[in-house]
Amino acid sequence: MKPSARTFPMRRLLIILFWILVWQLAAWLIHNNIILVGPAEAGLALLRLVPTKEFWLSVAHSFAKISLGFVLAFACGLALGSAAYRFSFLRELLAPLFSLLKSIPVASFVILALIWTGSQNLAVLIAFLVVLPMIYVNTLAGLKSTDPKLLEMAQVFRIPALKRFRYIYLPALLPYLISGCRVALGMSWKSGVAAEVIGIPDTSIGERLYMSKIYLDTANLFAWTFVVIVVSALFERIFLALLSSLQRKGGVSREADRSQSA
Amino acid sequence: MKLTVRNLRKAFGDLRVLDDFHLDMESGRIYCLMGPSGAGKTTLMRLLMGLENADGGTILWERADQSPAAPAPRFSAVFQEDRLCEAYTPVENVMMVTGRLLSEAQVRAELARLLPEESLSRPAATLSGGMKRRTAICRALLAPYDVLLMDEPFTGLDDGTRQTVIAYIREKTAGRMVLISTHQEEDVALLGAELITL
Repeated sequence: MKPSARTFPMRRLLIILFWILVWQLAAWLIHNNIILVGPAEAGLALLRLVPTKEFWLSVAHSFAKISLGFVLAFACGLALGSAAYRFSFLRELLAPLFSLLKSIPVASFVILALIWTGSQNLAVLIAFLVVLPMIYVNTLAGLKSTDPKLLEMAQVFRIPALKRFRYIYLPALLPYLISGCRVALGMSWKSGVAAEVIGIPDTSIGERLYMSKIYLDTANLFAWTFVVIVVSALFERIFLALLSSLQRKGGVSREADRSQSA
Repeated sequence: MKLTVRNLRKAFGDLRVLDDFHLDMESGRIYCLMGPSGAGKTTLMRLLMGLENADGGTILWERADQSPAAPAPRFSAVFQEDRLCEAYTPVENVMMVTGRLLSEAQVRAELARLLPEESLSRPAATLSGGMKRRTAICRALLAPYDVLLMDEPFTGLDDGTRQTVIAYIREKTAGRMVLISTHQEEDVALLGAELITL
């Protein structure tokens, strides 16, 4: 018998409750607030943070910097990926650069960026450098997956470039782009906040995390980590919703797949 | 418009597909291309459309207006596969090639002559093979063109639908140059076409 749709949220809730319980048990067993705090203490720390002006300023600061880095990288990755698809020479020229960008550790970037730009725009630059290769690679892969037979059809019918993009390239590109963004959005927050912890820019989430380390305030560390997860997830939802709205037709495709398999 | 093909040659590796092939066609007639599988029907159509380069021979298109500024012929085609944008509806697939020549209402009315009304707003991926084929045929017939090439357009169509489609093709191609490849001799008579054997 198949589980009903209602049992899934309930099961999910029970799974979450189970892990919170495990966390609380571990905190009781360890019984050391520096090594591990329980969910109740972390929750209380969060409740103390939320009404303060500094909390909202730090969240706004980090959100603005990291999302700016992400959006810039998204635009540049899309433009470079499209240009590299069109011009094979550019693809070859950029290949070593992107191989390098993908393999350099974030910490090396951070230290270099601190020397180049200082700490205030560090998160912008780091999020940009981490996200750029992901968007570039997925744009290139998506465009390469375009059906050559459809391109031949467009050539015979002399379909204008803009329509070719909308009807042929975009449906091929969007699934790759959405999948790339899913990973890149999470990575931009992880690397952006890590950069802030190293660079300690004023009024940022990274600075708050650093302070938690200095004062061995594990409850605050957990509270801020929770904030990063929530803000990052919200940003991911909003951005992917915007991209998915472009994929109106992609949604229709999935519906088509379902009806064919039924 | 006139087409003159002389000594056309095309091979893929050691396989000679077309060897010293000659062909003459003119506007206002339908030509049916027949031959066994692998005889080179699809290759000939691809060469005419400029999608393949010939190994030798000439393909000459002549317009009634022989001024040097006369544009190259404009092609329309039904390919061996449907080549539809699967996520888009039949109406969108046709409007993609007709541009502003036809309004959505006009496209819808034309498609409704070959397809059930309810299928016009469904993505092509959800249509049956026969419906997709008819959409591809309608797209080719409504696009602006001088020369229409149809590669086995009746594949997957039942007898009744085939006859409806043939009548529609005859109506829509009046005065144009049309080349249709088929395996069924009765299509030649139904289309009132001239037979070319490969």
